[in-house]
This record gives sequence, structure tokens and C-alpha cells, in this order.
Amino acid sequence: MNFFVDENDRVDGIDKVTGKAKYFAEYQLPGLTYGVLVTSSITKGKITGIDTKAAKNAPGVLDVLSHLNKPVAPGYEQAGGSPMKIFYTDEIFFNGQPIALVVADSFERATYAASLVKVSYEKSAFNTDFVKSINNPSAKKLQGQPPYVRGTADAYKTAEVKIEQIYTMPIETHNPMELHGIIADWRTNDQVTVYAKTQGVKAAQATIANVFKIPQENIQVKSEFVGGGFGMALKTWPVEIATVMASKHLKRPVKLVITRDQMFTMVGNRPSAYQKVGLGATKDGKITGITHTAFGQTSVYENFTEGVVNMTKFMYDSDNVNTNYYVVPLDLSVPIWMRGPGEATGAFALESAIDEMAHALDMDPLEFRMKNDPEQDPQKKLPFSSKNIKEAYKLGSAKVGWSNRKNKPGSITEGAWQIGYGVSIGVFNASRGRATVKGILKADGTLVLQSATSDIGPGTGTGMVLIASKLMNIPVEKISFELGDSSLPPAPSQGGSTTLSTVGTAVNDVCVSLKSTIAELAANANMSTTANFVEVLKKNNLPMIEVTKQSQANQQGKEYSMYSFSIHFVQVKVHKLTGVVKVSKIVSVGDSGKIISPKTARSQMVGGAVGGIGMALTEEALLDNRYGKYVNNNFADYHVPVHADVPEIDVIFIDKPDYIVNPMGAKGMGEIALIGFAGAVANAVFNATGKRIRSLPITPDKVLEA
Amino acid sequence: MINFQYLRASVVKIALSLVSKDPKATFIAGGTNLIDLMKRGVTAPEKLIDINKLPLAQIELKNNVLHIGAMVSNSALAEDSIVKEQFPLLALALQSGASAQLRNVATVGGNMMQRTRCGYFYDTTMPCNKRQPGTGCGAIGGYNRMHAIFGTSESCIAVHPSDMCVGLVALDAQVVIANAKGERKISFADFHRLPGSTPEKDNNLQKGELIVRLEIPTNNLYKNFHYLKVRDRSSYAFALVSVAAALEISQGIIKNARLAMGGVAHKPWRLVEAENFLKGKTANASNFEDAARIAMYGAKGFGENDFKLKLAPNSIIEALTVAKAKA
Amino acid sequence: MLNNDIRQSLLLFKPTMAELDNNQSGDTRRDFLKKSSLFTALSLTPLTVLKAAEGKVDERFAELFEKIPLNLKVNNKPYVLKVEPRATLLDLLREQLHLTGTKKGCDHGQCGACTVHVDGKRVNSCLSLAVMNEGKSITTIEGLAKGDELHPMQAAFIKHDGFQCGYCTPGQIMSAVACVREGHANSKEEIREYMSGNICRCGAYPNIVDAIQEVKEKGTAI
Repeated sequence: MNFFVDENDRVDGIDKVTGKAKYFAEYQLPGLTYGVLVTSSITKGKITGIDTKAAKNAPGVLDVLSHLNKPVAPGYEQAGGSPMKIFYTDEIFFNGQPIALVVADSFERATYAASLVKVSYEKSAFNTDFVKSINNPSAKKLQGQPPYVRGTADAYKTAEVKIEQIYTMPIETHNPMELHGIIADWRTNDQVTVYAKTQGVKAAQATIANVFKIPQENIQVKSEFVGGGFGMALKTWPVEIATVMASKHLKRPVKLVITRDQMFTMVGNRPSAYQKVGLGATKDGKITGITHTAFGQTSVYENFTEGVVNMTKFMYDSDNVNTNYYVVPLDLSVPIWMRGPGEATGAFALESAIDEMAHALDMDPLEFRMKNDPEQDPQKKLPFSSKNIKEAYKLGSAKVGWSNRKNKPGSITEGAWQIGYGVSIGVFNASRGRATVKGILKADGTLVLQSATSDIGPGTGTGMVLIASKLMNIPVEKISFELGDSSLPPAPSQGGSTTLSTVGTAVNDVCVSLKSTIAELAANANMSTTANFVEVLKKNNLPMIEVTKQSQANQQGKEYSMYSFSIHFVQVKVHKLTGVVKVSKIVSVGDSGKIISPKTARSQMVGGAVGGIGMALTEEALLDNRYGKYVNNNFADYHVPVHADVPEIDVIFIDKPDYIVNPMGAKGMGEIALIGFAGAVANAVFNATGKRIRSLPITPDKVLEA
Repeated sequence: MINFQYLRASVVKIALSLVSKDPKATFIAGGTNLIDLMKRGVTAPEKLIDINKLPLAQIELKNNVLHIGAMVSNSALAEDSIVKEQFPLLALALQSGASAQLRNVATVGGNMMQRTRCGYFYDTTMPCNKRQPGTGCGAIGGYNRMHAIFGTSESCIAVHPSDMCVGLVALDAQVVIANAKGERKISFADFHRLPGSTPEKDNNLQKGELIVRLEIPTNNLYKNFHYLKVRDRSSYAFALVSVAAALEISQGIIKNARLAMGGVAHKPWRLVEAENFLKGKTANASNFEDAARIAMYGAKGFGENDFKLKLAPNSIIEALTVAKAKA
Repeated sequence: MLNNDIRQSLLLFKPTMAELDNNQSGDTRRDFLKKSSLFTALSLTPLTVLKAAEGKVDERFAELFEKIPLNLKVNNKPYVLKVEPRATLLDLLREQLHLTGTKKGCDHGQCGACTVHVDGKRVNSCLSLAVMNEGKSITTIEGLAKGDELHPMQAAFIKHDGFQCGYCTPGQIMSAVACVREGHANSKEEIREYMSGNICRCGAYPNIVDAIQEVKEKGTAI
């Protein structure tokens, strides 16, 4: 079948629209069994007993695994590492912690049997209250990052105009549509194949090798299609290890698919944040000092930090900047990077504060930003490899109709709705890593590229095929890109917007090498150096040639500051009586170098904006701190945006190559698509109503009561 | 989920006898709420009587009364031409609930029987007097942003989650219930209960009884109506507050008024005093505001849901304003 | 623990649907087993078996009675099956029929990833017991294309890039086809409202709406 409408369509589009695409849970293995987890109903303490008699007696049950009868996992026998070694501890660190795995011959039977397992505990006092802990001096706080000071600390306090505000954000959950899990299948006593949902097949392979102490090559991790990740699949979670243990123990393939409520406790989250920003400026709008102090939540059993205050250090031109970042260990499961990690949190606070200052100065916030836009990176004191912020401001503001905006809040009304405009900036590191790609150029006219990278949705294969197609002058339908298998040449995990840059560079190097080999072969055969490779291979009697190339991280980090940038413009409507906020227009401008794959790149920006709507208006994982439990751990009550929340979205790309970052001139955009968006919405709500909401999400009650 | 016994019934009498004899048996219609609750272990019937084959899926207008079979799906009711023309408030309320997929399966009777969406009710490890009498109310003193402001008790502050029911209570519907003795009829307003000290009882349907149809008298409320649902996202979310409003206006004067709210009480909340206030008055902003004020008598917040004390009257004003403007 | 003879004799008495329909007595399955009408047939059954059937000793025995017959069509193919009443249509499709195009996203009717057509109507297969679909005709994403020819909605999703990770996509497409057929695709606003039961975490919504609108405006019978 070939249904490409144009060369920019996704290479796996047909698989995805026909249901042929196979995600981890969809592999049919002979003798497959089903695992269902039993979880802790207390928040902190010790397991004193697990009664599995009834469960083991239930129809179809093969066994119930727990710390009482787990198979040996040599890596867990060793001291050190995270104490959350599943089935190797009787300690409870959080509510909903996986403590036993029931395996049966069907999902229904395993589910029922899991409900029959009775666990007894010895409870201890616990603390899951983030905000209370921040205000409690005796509550433990850890430094998440060394303090940063440029010029004078707290210089904003003596500025002509100053603002000082607190911004808060709740826990957000990644909640990709695909439920997390794994299928583990030990083929022999020391060889295992896993079908995983992972952003890094090589990382998963290494983790399993470490726990079971078997050579990496004995572990095959397959993960061709991944139903979204947003960061949560960057780690091989304890429940996956539990499943690998169960399969080893039972000598049968075991499948685990966790439930949606377990997605709130077992696979990380974006931690809640409490941020204080102090901003000082001269009366004519020059920033003189920024102080950003941030707190995030972490777990007691494993530490997590992220780059919440990074952006503050270089985004605006100020001689005086100081930042502090602390984490508060709580009796909750450990967070993990979520799309735009850290920066998305920090940007909400910083970009809200910038808007507050512009208002205090009675300046257009765009003009204020442009006035304080640094020519070079003020933190690293290096030139930017590329930065087209001013052009982005110009294009985006024209498109959204910024000229219709009134600087005085609450000026535009349309019936019962108040209209406002907001802007915010996003930024994320654009450096690249190391990856290996193998290219097989065949005499039948096709090119196969292989690398153990992933595609959680952005269109990795599509981008790589387009890079190769352009370089090799081979039509896209003749090129395939194989990924999601740990037996392929190694590549890093898909995260931090680096895949296109990192793996793409190796694809580029493979193609350059293939071309020169073909040219050599042509010369040897007395053919023109521009002869078609099929002819060259045939003339040389070669069915194919293979090239493997490892690309390196870029070396220009000491000469240039490398970032991708985005500017988000939104128009919102706020209902005067109900406080309902609707995002009515979105223009997202991406300054991320050359665009390799226009269609999927646009989709990525669109998706970031949709995630941003969720962050700004609807998403909040709610805890009842009396029980240490989530009270809205489902898709009906944890509100991710739906179709009706999302207007048309205009995406503009600056589309100028940055060859310092990589030979394609392309910079990553997965993170910048989201970073800053929530700030733009909050700023627009202020412009519409004069109400400054400093606590996400901006729900109707907050608007109404402000 | 236990592997319950599953039986189908195609005759009402048989269905009734199957359930009335067996304390652990229950009816299943669309199942969109029941199966959800069974998966969560909130309820665990040992026998399900599938009533989808019962001949109760007709919509008919007879002698100025609309008869709606209990097994009519939410979408079929919302799309019905008589409903759209003569009871558009009901159609609008239906369309505001759930999703197209759920409305295709969920029935009228099942919608009335759905349980609260309170998180403490759904989590079997938390206290909840409705799920397990005597364990306490998790929402009082806990997360109660979605909860009731009217008719609450010390044992329960949950809300009934339906939109359809808010429309029906405003339209003076009657509920026809079958039991071993025959049929009985009660007003829709009396079908659902307030929690009192027995929050485990959502409504006045007895064991061994089955809702067979609804009856709604025709009215002149099909011109100036509105169903306003305020929620945390634009669709596919339960109401923070919803308002069903319908007015019969003649030369600027309100002849008849209907007002009901959702998301504020353990039952669809009819606002009779506010309706009575509006009757005979000019349809204008100041009277709408007064009606909203009257509607709020007796409202009480529990902390996180205090905002409803402002959102509810505002929503009433907005719904009446939109209803009036529809002429 | 059961010997083969007993197993065989019990298999003879797996209740058929017709019997269940007529079983108005309200018995539990264990009572059912003990019913006098069955005693003759079970005359060879040792006491231990009946004791086991009372449930508390060995649940494994009772499982022989726990599957009931189910006849349905999936993508025009008839199936004669035996299923546990608690199995959902979604799990039946994915785990037993190996039609994994239909996705499990929440298992509680809160995301739409499991959307299929039952007798032409879109439903969440996770909230439908498989046995409730007796005699019905199910269409899943695998049954939408005509051989190698993509359904216009599938082609439009590719053209408009109406997905990223692809996991919600089968549900979105099944819902989209129904949305057009129902007549609820007359404007972008209407499409958005009637597609709101299908969550896409990657955020491909505007592209999905464009795809649906194009299919609707082309007017091809779908």
C-alpha cells in the first residue's frame, strides 16, 4: 500500500490509522499470562503480612509474587541505590505503592484474584503536604541546584519599580493515552525479551541487565510503537522489574498493563512548585534585578530535581540575577521529567512576573521584553548559536492581532465575555548527544537506516527519512528507518528535544559516507561520479553497501550558547459571570533552526500548545493530605484538554538553519512547544479581566473569586 | 470483578422477579456507570439481569404527554424530533452530559440511577457513608470542590452527577415504576433523595422495582430556554454548577418559569421559590438577579466549594439572560 | 484435582444461553449445579465435586460453569465464542480475538480510545460487557478499510497528520466516522463538541478536526 499524499506524511501513518501499529501490550506470545498489581492502601509504614491464600486458590491463578517469595534479582541484593527495590523491601514509601503481583491466565482472573489479597501493615506518620512543608521551617528541604548569583543578590529590592510575587503549580501527570506496562519473556535462564513502553530501549536494557546481572546482549528490548510518553517512559519503573521477575519465576511470558489510576502513582509526575519571583526595573523599563526562588516536591526514597530556575539566568538582560532551587521530600512517589521539564514550571513564574512588571511600568509587555532581550547569553557570556526572538515577536504579534490589544486590562468586551491577549516566551537547551546509525544501501534502490532510538510520537522515523531523502536524493518511499529495538546500533533515550539533532546527525554522517563510497565505487568502475547508486552497485556486483557511523556531541559548547526558542501568543475570552476561560486564538512561533519535517514539526508545536492549555487551565492532580492519596486519579476528574477546549492553532517557524548545532541546521522543539504557554494564558487572563491568577490551573472558581 | 452470573430478560415481569428474589442481583441497562463501579469494586453484584431486550425503548406523544421508555438511549432522546421541537431544554441538557459514545449506550433509566462521582465514594479505601454506611464522609473536611451546597447532611455532601435529570425535574416529569403489584407513578422531583442519615439510598426506588418510563406534559417552555453547564473544561466533564432555565414570556412578562440546578445537591435541585418569584414579573436583569438571590436561600459551602455560593447565582442569571434572549 | 470423567460430564451441562434465558429461578451458579434436574446427569459425580462446587474449597471447579456462549460478528466475520460474563468487549477484542487496533486508554469510559461501532453506533467498548453484545455486529478500526483501500477518514487523518503517537487514533477515527454519519460535523465547533469523548494527549485535535471537516465537505458516502 502506498497512500502518501506527499512526502511529508508520517512514514508510519498507515500503520497508525489501520490499527496495524503494534504497541507493547499487543504482542501475542504463546502461553502469555497476565499480571495485576496489589498496591499499598497506607502511605507510610511497613508490611506486616500478605495473605495470598484466597488469591492463589482463585481460578486461573499461577502465583502471587511479593517480597516474601520473589525470585533472586542479584542487582537488588546489593546495598545502595534507590531503596524502592520492588519486592526487596517491606517498607511503604507512598500510597498506592506496588507490593504484590498476581499472575493468572487471563486479565479478568488476575484482576479478581488481586482483589482477594489481604495485606496488613504497621502504619507510620506521613507528610504529603507540599505548601505546608514550605512554610514549616522544620520540614526538610534539600538544595536542588547550587545557588546562582550574578552581580548583586536581591538587587530588585532597591529598584525604582519592583514586583515580588508567589506563583504556584500543582502536580501534573503525564498520562499518555497508552497505559504503562511491559511484557517479559525469559527465553532461557539468562536470556529475556521484553516488549516495553519506553523512550529508551538501550536504557531499559541497561537497567534490566543491572538488576538481573546478565549481559546486556542477553536482553532484547522491543518498543517499536509507543503510545506517548512525555517523559514518564524515560525510566524503567519498579513495576516493570516486577514483571520481569515474575516471568523469570514462572518461566512464562507475563504481561502487565497498569490501570489509569496507577498512572498517577507508579510512573512519575511533574512535581508541584512554589516560586517566588522578585523583579526590579528602572522607570523606563530596563530590568535591574531578578531573584527567583523555587521549591519543588520530591520523594523521600529517591531524589528528583529539574531546571526550574535555568531560564531566569539568561533570558533577560540584567546585571543582577540570583536563583535558588530547593526540593521538599514528601511521602509521595518520585516525580520524573515531564515535557518541558523544569523550564515549563519556571517559565510560568518568570513570564508572569515579566508581564506584571510591564503592567506596573504601563508598557506593552512585548516592548518590555524586546527592550530587555540580551544580545548574547548573559550567563555564559557567549554568543547564541542562533536566536531570532525579535523576528518571532514581530511575526507572531501580527498574526494574533496584537495591535487590537489594549494595555489597560478589562478594556475589550464581547457580550458576556471579556477579551484579552497574552504573550510568553519559551526556551530549551539545543545541544546534541552521541548516537550510532547504520545505513544499508541496496541495489534494489532502497535504503535502510537503523538506530536504537524511539518514537513516542514526534515522528522520529519521518524526520530521519526526510534527512536521508534530501541528502541521498532517494524518494521517501524507498527509505525505511528501523528503531525501537535494543539490538540496533545504540542511541540515547528520546528526551530533552534531542532526537532529531542527535540521531539526525548520525543519519547525516551515514548518508555523507554512503555518498562518498558510491562516488569511489563509481570512479573504480569508470562511471560518472554522479551516476545513480543502483547502477554503481550493479556495476560493482554489490547487492548492498553498509555504513555505520557514530555522531558525537557537539564541540561548540564553549564558543556558543545553544538554545531553541518559542513565543506563544494567545487570545482568551473570560466569562464575566461564570469565570470560565476559553483560549480563542493561538499563535506559536518556533525559533528552532531549519525545519526538517514541516508537517510533524507543526504537529509537535500544536501538541505543545494543547498541553499548555491543560497546564494553564485544567490540569491538577489533587491530594487529600489526610490520607496521602490522590482524589481525582482518573480521566474524568483529572482534566486533560478535550477537542472542545482547543481552537485553531497557527504555527509559524522562523525556519533559519543553525549549522553550529548540527549539520542539518535543525534544533529540537518538543519542549519549547509547551514551555511558556501557561504564562501566555495567565497574562491574557489578566489583560482580559485585570485579575492576576498566580496559581495554576486557572479554573472558573479562581477567576470568579479573584 | 467477581465472575457474576449473567441473565437476560425480555419481559418486565420476569426481570422483576429475578431481581426481587435475590439480594445480590441487579439490573444492567447501558452499564456505563455500573460496569465502571464494578471495576472499581464499589459494588459487586453476583447476578446481573440484562434488561436491554425489554420493550421499553419508545418515545411517543399521547394526549399532550410525552412518554419516554426507560430503555431509550440518551442520544436517541436528544435526537428525537418531538423532543427537539417541544422539549428542547431536555435535548440540550442531554447533549451536555458525558460523550457521544456514552450517550449512545446510557439509558434514561440508567442515567437516573447513576451514582455520585464523589472521589471518596469511588475509592474503596477511603471513608464514605454512601458506599459503606458508618465509615464517615471523606469530603467533609477534605476535597469538596465539586460537592453540594444545598440539602446536605452531616453524613454526605455528594452531588447527583446527571444533566438529563436537571432538565427533567424542571419539566415536571413523572416517573412510572413497575413492581410485582403493577405500576406506580411519582413526580420526578420526588424520585431522588437528600442524603439525610441514609446517604446510601440515592432515590426512592425499592428493591424489586424498575423504572419503566417517564411522562412529561407538553408546555410552552420551548422558546425561551437554556441549559448552562459550567465545568472545568469545555466538554466531557461533570458540572461545577449547571442550570436548566425555561421561561414563557408574553409581552415582556414572565407567565411561567422553570429553574433547576445540577452540581449543587444530592438530587437535581428544583428552584420553586425563584420560579414563583419570576412569575408575573418583567423579564429583566434586576428580576433575574433577585430570583438568583432567592434561589440561594439555605445554601452552605464546605470550604473548597464556597465559590459555588457565587457561581450558582451568577449561573442562574446567565441562564435566564440567555433564555430570554432566545426569542 | 478433577478427573477427566467428571470434567467431561460437567462440560455437558454448561448452560446454554437459551437455558439461562429461561432460568427465572434466581439461583446462583452453585445452586444451579445442585439443582435436581442436574442430579441425574451428575449421578456419577462424587460428593467431593459437589462440595467443591459450593465454592469455598476449590474455585477452580466452578470455573467450568463460568463461561457462557456468545455469538457476534466482528468486521463482518461471525464468531462463536465462550466468554466469562465479566469480560468486556474491549478485552475480548484485544486479548481473545487479537484485534488490538482497539485501544485501552482508561478502561472506564473516560477517554474514547476503545471506541468501536456496535450495530453502527459508536460506543466505548471498555464499558460494554462482551455478553451484552450477543447477536450484534461490531466494527473495529481493522474493519474500516476496504482491503488495501483506506477509508476516506483514515486517508484524511494521514493527510492532516491527525495524530502523533497514534494510540488514540483508532478511537478518534471510529468516532470521527460516526460523527459524520450522525450529522454532527457541520462546523468546526460542532465537530469539537461531538468529538470531545476522544482524548488525545499528544494534542492533535486541530488536525483531527481538519480531517473530519474535509471528509464531511467532500460529501463522499462513508
